[in-house]
Order: sequence, then C-alpha cells, then structure tokens
Amino acid sequence: MAKKRAAPAARRAKAKLSPRDKKTMSRLTGLADRVVSAANARRDPHVDIPSRTLSNVRYSPRKRILEMGSNKNRRQLFDLSQAKAYMRTMLVASGCKQLLDQGKTTSLRGLYYMLKHTIEGAKENTFDDQGECDTIIEDVEVLLNSIREELHLYAENRGALVGNITLRDRGDVIDCSRMGSGGYAIPSIVEPEVIELSSKMCKAKFILHVEKGTVWQRFNEDRFWETHNCILTHGAGQPPRGVRRLLHRMHHELKLPIYCVLDNDPWGYYIYSVLKQGSINLAFESQRMAIPDAKYLGLRSIDFERCQLSDSVKIALNDNDKKRAKQIAKYPWFEKKRAWQSEIQRMLKNDFKLEVESLISKDISYVTEVYVPERLKAKDWLD
Amino acid sequence: MATTKRKKAPKKKAPTTKRPSPASTNGEAKPKRRTTAKAMAASQREISVSEFFAKNRHLLGFDNPRKALLTTVKEAVDNSLDACEEAGILPEIWVHIEQTGSDRYKVGIQDNGPGILKKQIPLIFGKLLYGSKFHRLRQSRGQQGIGISAAGMYGVQTTGKPVKIISKVSARKPAHYYEIQIDTKINQPKILNGKGDGVDIAPGDPGTQYIKKHGIEWVDQPHGTRVTIELQAKFMRGRGSVGEYLEQTAIANPHISLHYCDPDDYVYDYERTADSLPKEPKEIKPHPYGVEIGRLAAMLQEAESMTVGEFLRTRFSRVTPAIAKRVCATAKVSSRANTNKVGRAESDALHQAIQKTKISNPSTDCICPIGEDLILKGLHHVVPAEFYVAATRPPAVYRGNPFQIEVGLAYGGTAPTQSISKDLLLELLEETDARTIRQFLIHTFNGLGSDAADKIIKTAALGTRQAPGKLKPKESDKLFTAMKNVNISDGQTMEVMRYANRVPLQFQQAACAVTQTVLATNWRSYGLSQSRGSLPRGPVSLMIHIASVWVPFTSESKEAIANYPEIQKEIRLGLQAVGRKLGMYLRRRLKVKQQTDRREVFLRYLKEVSSAVSEINGAKQSELYSQLVKVAKKHTAEADMKFDDRGRPIDQDPKDLDLGENVLIVDPASHAAAINRIGGEEDEQETDDE
Repeated sequence: MAKKRAAPAARRAKAKLSPRDKKTMSRLTGLADRVVSAANARRDPHVDIPSRTLSNVRYSPRKRILEMGSNKNRRQLFDLSQAKAYMRTMLVASGCKQLLDQGKTTSLRGLYYMLKHTIEGAKENTFDDQGECDTIIEDVEVLLNSIREELHLYAENRGALVGNITLRDRGDVIDCSRMGSGGYAIPSIVEPEVIELSSKMCKAKFILHVEKGTVWQRFNEDRFWETHNCILTHGAGQPPRGVRRLLHRMHHELKLPIYCVLDNDPWGYYIYSVLKQGSINLAFESQRMAIPDAKYLGLRSIDFERCQLSDSVKIALNDNDKKRAKQIAKYPWFEKKRAWQSEIQRMLKNDFKLEVESLISKDISYVTEVYVPERLKAKDWLD
Repeated sequence: MATTKRKKAPKKKAPTTKRPSPASTNGEAKPKRRTTAKAMAASQREISVSEFFAKNRHLLGFDNPRKALLTTVKEAVDNSLDACEEAGILPEIWVHIEQTGSDRYKVGIQDNGPGILKKQIPLIFGKLLYGSKFHRLRQSRGQQGIGISAAGMYGVQTTGKPVKIISKVSARKPAHYYEIQIDTKINQPKILNGKGDGVDIAPGDPGTQYIKKHGIEWVDQPHGTRVTIELQAKFMRGRGSVGEYLEQTAIANPHISLHYCDPDDYVYDYERTADSLPKEPKEIKPHPYGVEIGRLAAMLQEAESMTVGEFLRTRFSRVTPAIAKRVCATAKVSSRANTNKVGRAESDALHQAIQKTKISNPSTDCICPIGEDLILKGLHHVVPAEFYVAATRPPAVYRGNPFQIEVGLAYGGTAPTQSISKDLLLELLEETDARTIRQFLIHTFNGLGSDAADKIIKTAALGTRQAPGKLKPKESDKLFTAMKNVNISDGQTMEVMRYANRVPLQFQQAACAVTQTVLATNWRSYGLSQSRGSLPRGPVSLMIHIASVWVPFTSESKEAIANYPEIQKEIRLGLQAVGRKLGMYLRRRLKVKQQTDRREVFLRYLKEVSSAVSEINGAKQSELYSQLVKVAKKHTAEADMKFDDRGRPIDQDPKDLDLGENVLIVDPASHAAAINRIGGEEDEQETDDE
C-alpha cells in the first residue's frame, strides 16, 4: 500500500468534483493540514471526535428527535491506547480522499480492503476485521460532519419498496407499481443526486412500513398497495440508513404519512423508536432520518385477545426481552406517553410476544384484508 | 456334620475352588460342603515377605519394564548416596546401563562409599526388609530396606541372572565379590560363587588382574560398592526416564558427582557445584503425638522394667518430667507403675492422654534442608533459565514428625526444542517408540504442551499421525526448522519437580500433595497465566523438596506424598514466597517492555500517519515523518532519561532489581546449560574415548 501511494498523482486522472464533493474535500484537507501544523509546532496532533454514546445523546422534545450533544473525545497520536485508532482515522480519511478524487463510490467492505495492509516493519495489520474499519468510518463522518454518502461510501442494499410511485434512480425512470414480486431494492445511497422524487409522479396516499421481507411479500402478493393506494416498504429488521433516509424524504418531500407494522416485542418497539426519533449511534443523522410523525399500527399487545389468536402463537419472553422492554419504557420519548407505557406494561403482563406472522393462524390474508384496513379505518394507532 | 467322600482338596490349590461338584448339578437341594477345616488347614501356611512382593511387585515400583529400570537405578543410587553421606564422603556415582538383549538391560551402579562388610553383603542385597533405616527416625533417602533387594529379586526372576556385588572397604583390604540370588520361599540370600562363600579379591595388582580376567565391572578406587543387576526392562527417554531422574537428583544434590552412561554410550557428567556435604541429620526419638496406640503398646512391652514416668521421659522426645506427670494424671495411671504391669486398657488411656496434653513440637534440628543457596546452584547448573529463586521454610511438624519444605523456581530461558541439534533430533526420531510425531514431541521434550506440539507439526506441514521413525530426510529437515522457529513458550506448562529427602519423585503426580497444592495456588497473581484447575503456563520449572525424618508416602513405591494439611500449608507458603519474587521480576520486566513498546508503537504508526496525511493534502511525506519522529522523541524522552542515567540499555534493567539474597538472575543467552542442553534431558556430551 505504502509503495502504491508513492505516485498517486500519476496513477489516474482526477475526476471533476461536484460542489458537494468540494465541500467534503476541503474538510478532509483541513484535517490533514492540522496534522502538519501540529507537527511543525512540535505539538501532539489530535482530533476531537464528537462522542457517539448514550451520555452524549439528547432527546429534543421540541423537534421530537434524538440529537447529539457537544461532548467530544480527544484522540491523540501520542497516546499508547489511541495511537492505532488515530492512525486508522487518518487512513480512512485518505481512503475517502482517493474515492473523491476518482469520483467513485465503494462499499464499506471495499474501503476495508482498500486500507487493509501490513504495517511496515511490524507483524500488525492496519485493520483486522471490517468492524474495526466501520466504527472508524462513523468517527470520520462525525468528525468531518460529512455523512457516509458524501465520503463516497455505501452499504449493501437492504430493504424493498413497491407501490404507486415513480421515481428516478440515476436518471432511470422506475415505476414502482410494476416491480413484480421482488420489489424495488432500496439502495444505500438515496440522496437527491441519485434518487429524484416528485409529487407529480406519486399517486400513493401513505406509506406502510413492515418489519421484514416475509411480511412484505404477503402484502405485495395480496396487492395491498394497489387496493389501498399506498407505498409498501420493509427494512429487513432494523432498517438501514438507506431505507430510513428514503422514508424520511418521501415523508417530507411528498407529504406522505407513515404507518408501521412491526412485531409485538421489544425489538419491534425499538425499530419504531429508531424510525421515529433516530438511533443513539447515528444521532448526528437524526435530522435527516428521523420521522417524528411515524405511527405504530401494530402488532399490539392487546391483539392476542382482540384478534382471538390461538395459544400456540405465543412466544415466551426471555429475561433479555424483559430487561429490554423496561429500558425502552424508560426512554424519554416513551416515558411521558401513557398509551405506550400501558402497551409495554401489557406485554410484560402477557409474558409473551407476538410476531406479525402469527396473524396467519387466523387466515393467510387476515393481516392484509382485515387487520391493517381495520386499524387504518379506525385510526387506531400509537404515536 | 456329615462329610462327603470327596475329602481331599487337591494340594496347594486355593481352598475355595469353584469347580461345581457333579452331585450338586443333579438338582439336589442341600449344598454340599466341599472341603473341611482340616483339609483347608493343610494348605494354610506362612507367606514370606519375598514371596508376597515377588507376586505384588507393582507395590514396589516394578509395574512395567520401563518403570522397573528406573526403580532399580533409583534404589541403588539412593542407597549409595545415603551410605556416602552417612560416612561423610562426598558422593561420586557411576551409573551404567547396557543393553544385553531385545528387552534385557544390565544396570551397574557404583559409588565411592564406605563399602560393606563381607558378611552383610548377602543380607543387604539378598533379603527383603533388611536394613538400618527402618528402626530409626532420621532423615534419609531410603526408609524401609526393601528397594535394592527387591530390584535384585526382580532381575533374577525375569532373567535368571544373579545380582553381582563388589565392595571394598579400604585400599589395603581385599574387595569382596558376590553373585547372589534371593530365595523367595524363605527370603534368604543364596550365594552362587566361591562355593557359596563369595570371592575375596586381593588388593593391588593381582586383584586388578583378577577383575579383568573374570570380566567383573569395577571402576578402580580405594573404597566403594558396585552392584550389577541384569533385568527385563525397557529404556526410554523423556518423562519418567532414568535420565530425568538423574538430572533431577543432580539439581537437589549439588554436592554429588554423577556419571551416567546410557545404552547408546552417551555419557552424561554432572559435576558437583558444592564442595561440602550437607549437615549430618540427627536421629531423634519419636514424638508422642506421632505414636499410634499399637506402637505405644509395643514400646511399653519392649521397655525393660521401669516406671511409666521414666518410660515417657526417656523414650520420647520433648517429654519433660512435668509433662510425663501430666500425661499420667490425665490417663489416671500412676507414673510410678511398672511398665511391665501396664495393660491394654492403661496403654489406651495413656495414648488418649498424650493427645490431650499439650506437648511442645519436636526439635527440628534433625532436619537438614538443601538450603536456598544450593537450590539456586543446582537449578542454575541444570535448568537453563534467566530467573531463579529459592525459599526454605522454617521446619514444621505433622503428626509429631518434623518436616521442612523448600521451593525453588526457575523462569524463562530457551526451550529444549530450540536448542536441539540436528543429529540428536534424528537419533531421537529413530529411537522413540511413540507412534505419532505429536506423541514423540510431547514425550521427548519436557514441558512441551500439546498446543505447542501441534503448532510445530503445522509449521512443518507434517501429518499429525505420521510415524516419527518413518520420516523422509526432507520431512525431518522441515521438522527441525519448525522446531527452531516456532515460539512454543505460549503452550508450555510449568514443570513440577518433586523431591522427598532429596530423592526425585516421578510418578503419580496427580495423587501427590505437592502437585495438588501447586494446582490450588493462584499463579495469576504472580504474573503467570493459568486456567482453572491446571498448571500455570510458561517456561517455568518448579522444584519442591520435603525433608523429614519420616516422609508420608501414599504407597511403598514412594511416588506420592500424602495429604497432610500441615504439609500442604507449608508448601503453599513456600510457593507464595517464590511466587512473590517471580511476580516482582515479571512485573518489572513487563514495565520495561511496555516502555520500549511505547516508542516502537509510535514509530510504527508514524509512517502510516504521515503517508496518509500527505496523500490528502500533498504535504511532503518524509518531511512530515521526521517532524513527527521528533515529537515522538520528545514524548518518550522521559523513558530514555531513566535508563541513560544508569548507562544501561533498557532491556537489561530487570536484572538490577534487588529482590534479596535468594534470587539469581542471569543472562539466558550466556547460560551454559542453555547451550548444551539437548532434548529436554541432560547436558549431553560425547565421550572422548569413544
């Protein structure tokens, strides 16, 4: 790697930078310049990285989203425990610079391989697994205040979309009502440069977000989006950034309300919480991702009785679930909501959880033909 | 009762033959008597000690051919050392093992001891349970007087060859030469040569010629004894071998010289490092606490008529007139009663009274420990390491018997696999009887764990199940390079050497109080890594010596020490004493290493950082790098200062550590034993006269 870098300029012609790239580039250069000036002044080079911990996350009741506080962690080069992390931070920054220069994007794993090499004169690798690289990338994001997309990085596509909407993806017109059984795979980067939305091309009236692909299949097969004129999405469990960002954009740019159908367990609650308020780790992106108006349609802990489900669909709560549920009940954004408190208490009292698929025990299409339409009609949801 | 016609059981058969009688198979309800008390009495007779042990030889350590060889050497060497020390002679021992058949070996052991009187020779070597050590309480290696004669008996039984003994009392007196066999029926020696009288060999030239003519083995010297036994055996190297035993003996006995010639004619020489004999142990009277009721009754009977008070005073240690009085009062026995008139009930009362009375501990000057200084010398001489520490505990008492614990520890040094020579490896490969390479590595090299063996095999790209004898030259080359290059110290476990009265114990490790205490000690707090319930890891050798007038073994083969809480406590305290020193040393070493590491870490990353930065903003990489190095120097300058003041490079600093007198720190690279040490065994040197 070090050898390859010997002649970076001669290697490839530089791509033309977009205005957004220029901004990112100047931030990267600023970072590097500070190292040089520190070295010249014989001072410790260091970077101050906003800390991404629970203690540095604040819920803003006014904006109804999670926001990052102002705490920062200093990362020094001349500190035994931080030297390696510092070196990695610089490596990631230089990797991003190369991507920008060449006008290309790569996956997180791609960058990991790009930067992974053995340190000269030591039996040590710069990175040993991708996880180490990923956290540093997040550090660089907050450090430069540039999101992943601006650093030309993306993650694997996850989540799918189908419904009465037509969008442009890198210039290609995509009619999402004609996506067959697979749906439109939501890319990792859904910024306006890549995906163009327009209210003219959208007939749908709302968005229904479900937890996982199997449930999404059910809705798609029953042409739920057609009969109810909506957009149907799923995020394969915890929705990745691409899905959350796209939901955010559709919600704000197309003014579509969002309803979620998730499992009745602490995990489902947490997915809703992340969609609505943002996550702790990515609190710096809440602005661009959180949808405080998203509604929780189901499953509810009262559904076992309300829908008269059979005993066989119950899944007992384990200790971890109970602990998690109690934690979630204490989140400031749930704490003051009586409906949510009774919902969580009810689940704990039930001592079992329910998956969306459990409704299939009533009828295969019960969820699409009865459950969701009834809830929507009655405006019966949690906020 | 009605007897049957079948009145006679076949003679010399066990009386309870299970052969079904034809009558009883006919469905007759009444069980018939098979024999009578009279008939049974005909076959009941005394069993001689020798017959018993001939049948139960595993009790004495002759379970298998491999162990038989070791036990034979061990018994002979122990006896020789005891004799030399008792006579006040600095011991010099020759051990010669020679293969005479596919599974036969001739073992000769010679010492420079005082020699044995003519009439005693046959008894000592040809009669079980004959000796000087059983009836006294005195620290010595042998205890029962069973070992060497049992070895002779085993030899005669397995090969039919007699035991040959030659002994000389002084240069001017004739040497006595005997060939004897033990008559197991009556436990008596049978002399074969010189018409049942042995042969006297005249001193001087005529004698030398006689010895030569008759092919008697003898290293010429003014006095000493040589015993030669031919026996069925199996010679092995590594764990539990003769070589290991002798090496460990040399560690614990730095005042002896040992010459060992193995079946392949390798001669191993251990020269003495201490020129004075250990203090002579004193014989003591038994302490009342350690005497059982039966023994007490016997002692009372043996005593000529005297008063009970006098008996207690004179026959036991630590019994003052006042204590004797108190014991008698508690037992409600008149202290003036005659011992002849003391009955069973009274002696029982006396025994109980003794346990209730507070009697001071026996004097402990009868014990002579090796001493911290000599332990260090011994360890240093034989075990290559960089750090040595020893601790001698003050004497303590279990069940009325005084004992003393000593602990020595050696840490670090090169692993035996790394110092092995190519030729020796090839030889070892040839002679091993291990079925797989893995087995071979584990058994041949002391302290080599299975993990390390696997690592070596993997590096050498050999199959685990490959036979060591059938390696192609290319493959053994690979194995050799792998052994040199693989760092095995992570897989190495502590080597525990146990000693009782300076005799190494090699078997039944798990059953021994010593091993159990080592396992129960938390070595992690002393800087070693240890998983639960196993020996700590790392290049550590530990020796633990228990010296006592009566070492409590778990069996007659003297392989494991019994679990007395007092003994375990002393061992634990000893281990803690050496452990603390080791911990200090390791911590200091770690600290220095961290400081050196620190600079290295920075320097290592600086290059990466500078090239990453120059990639981003086009700054000159070399310039930035040298700037950063300057900053790094500024940051680690403090560390440099400390060591520069002493004018020493950083990595030698732990040797300056002052840990007290009982610690020895050497440079492992210049260690004599580290260079010559081969195959996890002895300092191996080819003899010049080969």
